[in-house]
Amino acid sequence: MFCILLPSSYSSNKNLNCMKKILLLVLFCLPAMIMMAQSRTITGKVTNPEGKAVPFATVTVKGTTNAVSADANGNFSIQAAPNSILVFSAAGFQNVETNIGNQTTVNSTLSTAGALSEVVVTALGIRRADKALGYSVTKVDPNSLLQKSEPDMLKSLQGKAAGVDIRTSQGTPGAATRIQIRGNSSFFGDNQPLIIVDGIPFSNDQVSTSNQTTGGTAYSNGISSLDPNDIASMNILKGSSAAALYGSRASNGVLVITTKSGSATRSRKGTEVTVSSSISWEKIANLPEYQNEYGTGANFLFSPASNGSWGAPFGSSHTFGLDSVNNFATYQAAYPELFPSSGRIPYKAFPDNVSNLFRTGMVYENSIGFSGGDDKTSVALTASNLSQKGYVVNSSYVRNNIGVGGATRLSFGLNIRGNFSYTRSTQTGGYFGENQVGGAASMFARSLFLGRNWDTELPYQDKAGNNITWNGGGQFDHPIWSAYNNVATTHEERYIAGLHADYNINKLIRVDYSLGSNVNSLDRREVTEISSRAAEGNGRIVLDTYKKQEIESDLLFTFSPTINNDFNLKAVVGNSINQRTTTRQVQTGNKFITRGIYTLGNTAQQIFGPIVSGAPFPPLADNFQQQRLIGVFGDVTLSYKNYAFLEVTGRNDWSSTLPQANRSYFYPSVSGSLVFTDALKLQSKILDFGKIRAGWAKVGRDAPPYSLDNVFVLGANFLGQPTATVANAANDPDLKPEFTQEIEVGTQLSFFKRRIDIDFSWYDRNSTNLIAPISIPSSSGYAQFFTNYGKINNTGIEIDLTVKPIQTKDFTWSIHGAFTKNKNTVEELIEGVERLQLRAVLSGASNINPYLEPGLPFGYLRGNKVFRDSATGALLINPATGGMIVKQDQEMVGDPNPDFKLGITNTLSYKGFFLSFLFDMTQGGDIYSVTVSSLLGRGVTKDTRDRLGNWIIPGVYGDPATGKAILNGGKTIPNTTSITTNDLYFSPNSLNGATFAINTATEWNVYDATVYRLRELTLGYEVPRKLFKKVPIGSATITITGRNLWYLAPNFPKYTNFDPEVNSFGATSTQGIELSAAPTTKRFGVNLKVTF
Amino acid sequence: MLFKSRSIKLLLLCTIVFASCKKYLDINKDPNNPLTVEVSKLLPTAESSLGSALAIGNGTAGGLSQILEVYTHQMSTRESQDQYAYTGSGFYIGTAWPTMYQGVFENLEKIIKIAGPAGDRQYVGIAKILKAYGYSQFVDAFGDIPFSEANRLDSSIRYPKFDDDATIYPKLIALLDEGIADVTNATALNLHKPTTDDVIYGGNVQRWVKAANTIKLKLYTQVRKVQNVQAQVTALLASPSTLINATNESFWLPYGPNGATDDRNPGFGDYIATQRSNHVSPWFYETLKGYRPDIFTGNPDPRLPYYIYNQIKANTVTADPTEYRDGAFVSIYFGSRGPNRDRNQQNVISLMGIYPVGGRYDDGQGGTANAASGTGAAPYKFITYADRLYLEAELINAGLATGDARAVLQAAMTESFKQIDYVITTFVKPAQSVPAINGTAAMTTYINKVLTEYDAGNAAKKLRIIITEKWLASYGSAVDQYSDYRRTGYPVLFDPNNPAMAPGGFVQPPVNGNPQAIPQPAVLVQLSRPYPNSLPWYQTELETNPNAPPQKDLVNSFKVFWMP
Repeated sequence: MFCILLPSSYSSNKNLNCMKKILLLVLFCLPAMIMMAQSRTITGKVTNPEGKAVPFATVTVKGTTNAVSADANGNFSIQAAPNSILVFSAAGFQNVETNIGNQTTVNSTLSTAGALSEVVVTALGIRRADKALGYSVTKVDPNSLLQKSEPDMLKSLQGKAAGVDIRTSQGTPGAATRIQIRGNSSFFGDNQPLIIVDGIPFSNDQVSTSNQTTGGTAYSNGISSLDPNDIASMNILKGSSAAALYGSRASNGVLVITTKSGSATRSRKGTEVTVSSSISWEKIANLPEYQNEYGTGANFLFSPASNGSWGAPFGSSHTFGLDSVNNFATYQAAYPELFPSSGRIPYKAFPDNVSNLFRTGMVYENSIGFSGGDDKTSVALTASNLSQKGYVVNSSYVRNNIGVGGATRLSFGLNIRGNFSYTRSTQTGGYFGENQVGGAASMFARSLFLGRNWDTELPYQDKAGNNITWNGGGQFDHPIWSAYNNVATTHEERYIAGLHADYNINKLIRVDYSLGSNVNSLDRREVTEISSRAAEGNGRIVLDTYKKQEIESDLLFTFSPTINNDFNLKAVVGNSINQRTTTRQVQTGNKFITRGIYTLGNTAQQIFGPIVSGAPFPPLADNFQQQRLIGVFGDVTLSYKNYAFLEVTGRNDWSSTLPQANRSYFYPSVSGSLVFTDALKLQSKILDFGKIRAGWAKVGRDAPPYSLDNVFVLGANFLGQPTATVANAANDPDLKPEFTQEIEVGTQLSFFKRRIDIDFSWYDRNSTNLIAPISIPSSSGYAQFFTNYGKINNTGIEIDLTVKPIQTKDFTWSIHGAFTKNKNTVEELIEGVERLQLRAVLSGASNINPYLEPGLPFGYLRGNKVFRDSATGALLINPATGGMIVKQDQEMVGDPNPDFKLGITNTLSYKGFFLSFLFDMTQGGDIYSVTVSSLLGRGVTKDTRDRLGNWIIPGVYGDPATGKAILNGGKTIPNTTSITTNDLYFSPNSLNGATFAINTATEWNVYDATVYRLRELTLGYEVPRKLFKKVPIGSATITITGRNLWYLAPNFPKYTNFDPEVNSFGATSTQGIELSAAPTTKRFGVNLKVTF
Repeated sequence: MLFKSRSIKLLLLCTIVFASCKKYLDINKDPNNPLTVEVSKLLPTAESSLGSALAIGNGTAGGLSQILEVYTHQMSTRESQDQYAYTGSGFYIGTAWPTMYQGVFENLEKIIKIAGPAGDRQYVGIAKILKAYGYSQFVDAFGDIPFSEANRLDSSIRYPKFDDDATIYPKLIALLDEGIADVTNATALNLHKPTTDDVIYGGNVQRWVKAANTIKLKLYTQVRKVQNVQAQVTALLASPSTLINATNESFWLPYGPNGATDDRNPGFGDYIATQRSNHVSPWFYETLKGYRPDIFTGNPDPRLPYYIYNQIKANTVTADPTEYRDGAFVSIYFGSRGPNRDRNQQNVISLMGIYPVGGRYDDGQGGTANAASGTGAAPYKFITYADRLYLEAELINAGLATGDARAVLQAAMTESFKQIDYVITTFVKPAQSVPAINGTAAMTTYINKVLTEYDAGNAAKKLRIIITEKWLASYGSAVDQYSDYRRTGYPVLFDPNNPAMAPGGFVQPPVNGNPQAIPQPAVLVQLSRPYPNSLPWYQTELETNPNAPPQKDLVNSFKVFWMP
């Protein structure tokens, strides 16, 4: 049965045989182990004094390291000899010891106390007591992520966990969310944590079909297909020490998620059904405040073709004002019957023209969970549906999920668990990007900056269905036409199948084996309809098919020898085999033959591959990638009197992607902790618990597949001739593994009987010898050389603080603060290279690109600045224009990395009522904003309403040819050249007369993105259980929630109301660049949860 | 004991399993991209890249001509080419430089490396000729460039040095001689010969010899101000049949009409652009119209409708005021500071026509340009037969060659007209019906008037007419125009600081040119930079190459070695 899960299509028989051998070994071993069984199985349940289950309590056979943890419902099962003593421990409870005698069922009731002995899941599913850890692990309560009117699980994690930086992208449904732990530790790649779901790596790729600078939709990333309703537990392994056993991919941290179906536990009642349902309404979070006094044109003169509202004032009562104008030529031609025969229309403002473009979106979420079984067997099932309609018309995200899992204990003591889940999601939405770039057609090209006299209630297409706009000229697509006709639809399916078996061979040895497969397949259709400004107006379809399969097999032997009563030793050795296979095809069809049929067959010209604008050699996209990794690892934990702990791990990997000579690499970790309150027997009324911890770890990492040989790339035909070219990147045949080393120290302190808990960590992480492409001069024949080089440092602190100011029988108030500060610096590149471009975003006049450069923050923003007087720093003004002079060379214009993040959650509960609200803030971090630049430059907001006066930019005269101040008798000359308000925001000359907003130096469109926010508000009521005595209802909770109800970003122009929590490049490491992104949303919701 | 022995057995078993698993990891051979290819797949890439690196573009593609058409005043734009402000971080240098070094030179080196040992000398020779031409164009544009150490990553040269431009030219001549020897090598094995994969000459090696000799003629002409080249050019001109000697022998890169794989002339991009930005320079237009007081005055050029396509009709009322209008012709000035420069006129402005970019022949009916207006299949002209004749006329005029300069100029002009018909019927193949120009009365009248002006002029004026006619004929291919201007001072270019051209800083469009605004207002123009003696180097090259020199300074004093 194991073989069913093996990849069959792409493995050679040889390889398949090899995998089989390992699996057969396991199969042969199991019966052998079974015969060695000795001790009995003890089962039971751990409860609190009120009879409620204590989840994940640790149960240890005293004097041994034989320990298990109870499940989420307090149930446990452990092997123990008769008359053993079981020690029960759990967070917030005092330990209880029970002699089991001859019983096989032992229940235990714990009483609350000040001991911290929570159990957390660490690497490879190894459960360990929190107090024993020498590194920081954050445990996330899955309930804090549910029913918050937020379909995106990662977004609902925002502000709740220290050390976790979550960044959103577009405000449309399904858009990717970036999660980052302790900064970027590799130069390229997405730098996101490894996600492990039920023991199997879960690919979180963002599959981008089109370049997001010039188009592309709000691509989602893989984690969006995970159903939050199915999550039983989530642990975040932040540091390398915690993650070292996962090896290669753990250098950016690990999210360890256990699903309900994957853990298949039985509830206290035996059988339980949970039904939850919620409905939310979403709106665009905020619109700018518009001026309604001037229409399109320039310098108070009306112009029907203009995009900027700098024209004549409305109404002839004003100087230059007009009452009526000629009808828009496009509308007059398309719908003459709608307009007066004079061809004149009133010249007036449409104050609601922007808000008319958007609707109230909805989020529906329904989920049903079932768990049941008997003493030996349990099953769990989760099914849910999420349906979101965004505030942009025709944008939606639908996700359906079903997960089933079962666990059983065979009579000879073998535990077997299996699970399967299936998710299908469909995302629909339009395109974004910088509309100014040739061939681009952003849905948001003008949405927020419509001419004030443009009526959005007029039709958006002519009678034939062609896109029409007010000022014609094909400068942008009508936002509504675009939403209905330029649409990307992505269907994504994910299958997860897993099997786990464990068995205690004897008192000393336990064996665990798991095998699982995670398959993610994506089908995308990007349609650009005839008459769009993109695709030459002829229509286009791009089809993208992507499939990724990952298989992982893990075998673990756990040894728990007895030493003496003071010392405890536990050792794990194991083997892990992983295979990742990706296939992808992209095909493009140009020129629709007929309208409305979106198939390749309906196009006149087809090509393999995506449209790559400006690329000299468009790549053909049809590829297969496979990589394999074999790891062998060991983990030894030694504890002394349960207050001093030492853990040493080591792992050796063999990777298929490295040269044979460098294929094998080893990396160790060591960490320790000391509960000094126990060690020193401190009996303080103030300090209940104190622990210090320290860890050091090294994590190795292999290369992407096929990065050793120099290859040719096949290209599109030229004049009917097949072509090939030398690849853009040359490869280093002697690649070595890269390593990340991290030191972490921390402390956990608990005061006043756990009324105050502090968890503090400091870390310093260095990644060296990184495997990445280095830019080399084109004159070498290549643009990049793929090799080992450089160093990245991340240093930071994380603080989790919980305070419970009031804790009475009926009323509790608790405050949780999560503080994250990370400094991410590129320390070294390679000799001879000043800097590397992280991504090509925009070159030319409006130059903005993220870069890597020694001594500077990761991905800092680089662009143009203007000349300043070298002595005084005064702006240099061109006497001929009154504008500034733009420097040729680029410089740093911003740092997108925030200084720190802080989230504060207040939770108040009174009897059945509870109220919680989360404020969070991001301090610092810069963003380049096309939205703000356009709002100002197009003269549409109240920021530029008062425009009757002229302006003088403070500065001194300078010479555009030299970039130096013009001197008169050795002195600089103050600028006295005035310019109009229109020119102040729309540069009269982009190089020699730059002003602000549009067509100016990059530096003027970079803003400090500090933002304060009321992220989440929840008000709930749990219906008293006594009401349900006569009905089969276990509990019922109703909540109302609000998301993003208020924010303040103080460093942006006031009336733009800009929310900097947007980003045009999804979950990639390119941050701080916004190219007319869809604004954020706010939501209200009502949620109901009932258990039976 | 039982446990112990079992565990040892287990360990042993595991070891055996792993030992047999080495092969499990040997899966890193790239299944998607070949380690080696036939040279016939590399040649079309190198040839098309040579065109891409030099051609006009439209914002998403294009090469040096997109900058240099503005510098030679055939094109005007609001972008940073205006007022000679293009920088090394600009888009088109950023496409031209890597396209040349990676797309052209690296693939040519690979052809030489693969075809050489195989005995396929024709491929080797073509590669050498193309390499010499590509380098000569880059030396002309940039001056010092990587040459001797370029494209040698195989020999672990990651950071090629920049060679002195004067030392490169002689090596290019040698390379051309090697190329000629290779393509004509009678003893070579030549198991593989270029055919249709040679998109320039279809594997006709005699034409490659002609091209190589004509490139030599051009290079000698280029350096004539700093070196006596009389012997060399006399030898070359002595046997015209070894030079490009007929229209169909012209050295140019054909383009096609296929939009999917996009083998269209990148300059056609403005027809399908979402934001048209390539205006036809009023200076160029006025020269064609005979409006200039100092040259071709009152001698309208009949090539105008082949050169320029007007999107509107002469009497069309435009929504917004225009800066420069003459009937149907709409444009903006170089260095303009006028109030109407930045207006959105993209469906109003005049575009490059059927001859330079495969656009539309102007039949006077107007119409918004789109993908169907033309085919985009006009070739990029490296060196045409007409160019060869103009070179000869220049050399005779300079006393470096013998012959009748007037007769050669007449032949060159006649060929320039003939070439238009050839380009349209052989390559562009438009859907619209386009009349032939060769042999028309208008052509004869035009040429005769030019010759009359030529006869009346002194030697300088004669040179000016030769170079100005060459400038007109090579419309769309600007690299040599830029070189011609820097070494001869011709054609005379528009200078906003010249009081004769822009009195008081204002330049006057045709007073009655705009039916809506009579008279058309004069436009303020400015220029605050000197004429660039070479282009700035590609900024990324400088930033990634520790052996590169610092960027040329702002006033750009770097002179290419052949400049007087």
